[in-house]
Amino acid sequence: MAGILDVPKPRINCSMLSQFINRAVCFVGRVEKVHPTGKMFTVMDGEGNTATVELNEPLEEELSGIVEVIGMVSNKGEIMASTYNMLREDKGVPFDLELYNEALKVIHDFPQHYPFQVAASG
Amino acid sequence: MTVELTRGAVEALFKGSQVNNPVLQLLNIRQMSNTSGPPRYRLIMSDGQHLLSSFLLATQLNHLAEDNLLVPQCVCMLRRATTNTLSDGRHVVVVVEMEILKSAEEAGGKIGNPTPYSTDGKLSSPHKVSSATSEPASASAAEVSGPSSTNNNNKDWRKGFMGKAPMKTSPMMVSPMKTSPMKGSPMMVSPMKTSPMKGSPMKTSPMKTTASLPGSIPKSIPIATLNPYTSKWTIKARVTKKSNIRNWSNSKGDGKLFSFEIVDESGEIRITAFNNEVDRFFSLVEQGKVYYISKGTLKVANKQYTTLKNDYEMTLHAHSSIVPCEDSPGIPTVQCDFVPIEELENRDKDAIIDVIGVCKSAEDVSRITTKASREVSKRAINLIDTTGKVVTVTLWGEEAEKFDDSGQPVVAIKGARLSDFGGRSISVLFSSTIMVNPDIPEAFRLRAWYDQEGYTVDSQSLTETMSRSIGSKMNWKLLSDVKNENMGHGAKAEYFSCVATVLYMRKENCLYQACPSGDCNKKVIDQQNGFYRCEKCNREFPNFRYRLLLSANLADFGDNQWVTCFQETAEVLLGRKAEELGQLRETDEAEFDEVFQKANFTTHIFKNRVKLETYNDESRVKVTVMEVLPVDHREYSRRLLSNIQKLAR
Repeated sequence: MAGILDVPKPRINCSMLSQFINRAVCFVGRVEKVHPTGKMFTVMDGEGNTATVELNEPLEEELSGIVEVIGMVSNKGEIMASTYNMLREDKGVPFDLELYNEALKVIHDFPQHYPFQVAASG
Repeated sequence: MTVELTRGAVEALFKGSQVNNPVLQLLNIRQMSNTSGPPRYRLIMSDGQHLLSSFLLATQLNHLAEDNLLVPQCVCMLRRATTNTLSDGRHVVVVVEMEILKSAEEAGGKIGNPTPYSTDGKLSSPHKVSSATSEPASASAAEVSGPSSTNNNNKDWRKGFMGKAPMKTSPMMVSPMKTSPMKGSPMMVSPMKTSPMKGSPMKTSPMKTTASLPGSIPKSIPIATLNPYTSKWTIKARVTKKSNIRNWSNSKGDGKLFSFEIVDESGEIRITAFNNEVDRFFSLVEQGKVYYISKGTLKVANKQYTTLKNDYEMTLHAHSSIVPCEDSPGIPTVQCDFVPIEELENRDKDAIIDVIGVCKSAEDVSRITTKASREVSKRAINLIDTTGKVVTVTLWGEEAEKFDDSGQPVVAIKGARLSDFGGRSISVLFSSTIMVNPDIPEAFRLRAWYDQEGYTVDSQSLTETMSRSIGSKMNWKLLSDVKNENMGHGAKAEYFSCVATVLYMRKENCLYQACPSGDCNKKVIDQQNGFYRCEKCNREFPNFRYRLLLSANLADFGDNQWVTCFQETAEVLLGRKAEELGQLRETDEAEFDEVFQKANFTTHIFKNRVKLETYNDESRVKVTVMEVLPVDHREYSRRLLSNIQKLAR
């Protein structure tokens, strides 16, 4: 897990999953269904598409609302989560997932302005 | 192909008998020398057999003459005309509605060989007729027979009109010349020009009433045909608005008056009653009721006092009569010329217009204090119509409070002012009329459209929606813009908003001792004897109030800016009241410092005022913070996204 934290993790949504296979990513979405085993759950992104997240250990808490998952994208397009972060809905300003999706599109449309390399300045 | 003129029409019209849509050729047009009011045009018309110069153009058709559409030798069809008898017995045919069938070139010269038509040997010469027509219509014996024949004509005209309805579809020639009289149109709301063909009840009713009640009830003429040259007439109309009695007193004396507006299918007109007539008619006239009115004086309308579309207005006098009549379905409740919301952009600001739309949403009633220190209620409602555009309408006072926006009602507003506030918006005036779910075809059409598709339409508002941006139009700038755009250098102060982070605040000298009395914020001088003196109030006080005057440095990604925050804004930034800070400074310095530490590097929305100020020969641009607001990240993100999109184009 230490490895993944040192690497830049581009933020993506479901439509970009296929382009980031075997790469570390950061996925923000709304929790849909949690598998009874607690080791897997589905998330929906701002566009309405769903992705599957798999965990190493089963969940120890109730997962709901918006969650930020950091992990690797598997060959099948699933996210193998290293860590996750729940954005509590009862605290702070409610998270606008559609707006987040708009920002994502901008980031990916203009990579020249949003470089993901680590200090790769010329 | 030469157009056939309706032979014998001239003679028939002159005698006042029925002619169906006669086709005549215009031989000449002349403007009459009037003393006042709108110009009147005299026409010489020929039916190939006779020619007659006693044709007057109704003022609502003046545009035809002014647009040079009435060229001698053009061929026209008279759709509506009334024959009036003047005080000297002369007959004049007033053309109320006319369509130009062929232009002068297409007609190819004078058709036929018409001879001047005259009944009693008097050759109609322009001067004579004009002098005759400009005579005020005074009741004389000759006219007694006049009106009945006049009204007969009207009745017949309309009957003829109706009867010929199926034919109307054919002569739809040269469209730009199609002369549907705009003002005070005999039809209802303009797009429904073809309404008579549908046999709508509106058209048939005056005919019905006149036909069924001969003699006892007066036959009425349309309001649109009223002019100072007609003598005895009766109109039947509904009162749409009635004012209160107003008293005045000037150098000429004093008096009282009240006014009301009436409408029938052809148009509307304003009526005023003075002094004695006020006593006679004020209680009789009720808004919404229909009356027969006759013997009023017509004169040119004083547009200052009315926004009605009629060139004339009426004054009641001792011989005027107002008789209530049974409500007739034919008389509309109101006459409106609605402007499609989309077109509002093309209208001039401050124009008085009518508008109709479905109330999509309405804000809550708010109370504002005007500069005159009056408290007034205000409410903004959003109207959408079939053009898909939305405009914000501001209601005031009682209207604002009474308004019920449940169920998205159709709202029609007559006589409201178009303003350029926020692009285009509408403000209701004291004289405006607001109708909720009015009983007019336009309203039904809107209702049907909205229920079927309108509610889904992603509408575009002409009024910049204020609801998201805080307060009035925010002028978003970057801190670098202040220097780059030389803001504040003009004569007036400039206002802008920005998102910025506090980098540094001057702790020392942020507090000063101020005069404790009321609104006075002047710094007091410590007289060292336990008293503090205020120069402005010229008094001494045993105490003072702490007030904040904070100098801070704000920055964004591009630039930084020193600003001044007064009491209110400083308190928001620091999160403490001035008094508290004053105490803290004296007692617990560590905590005092802590307050500033915590506020440092916080990001807010700042609304600022920037102005060039001169102090002892030195001019500097000074920025003062008017308001500090928390950053609404969603709104900020949306704004950034839209900026990006604009830049990307």
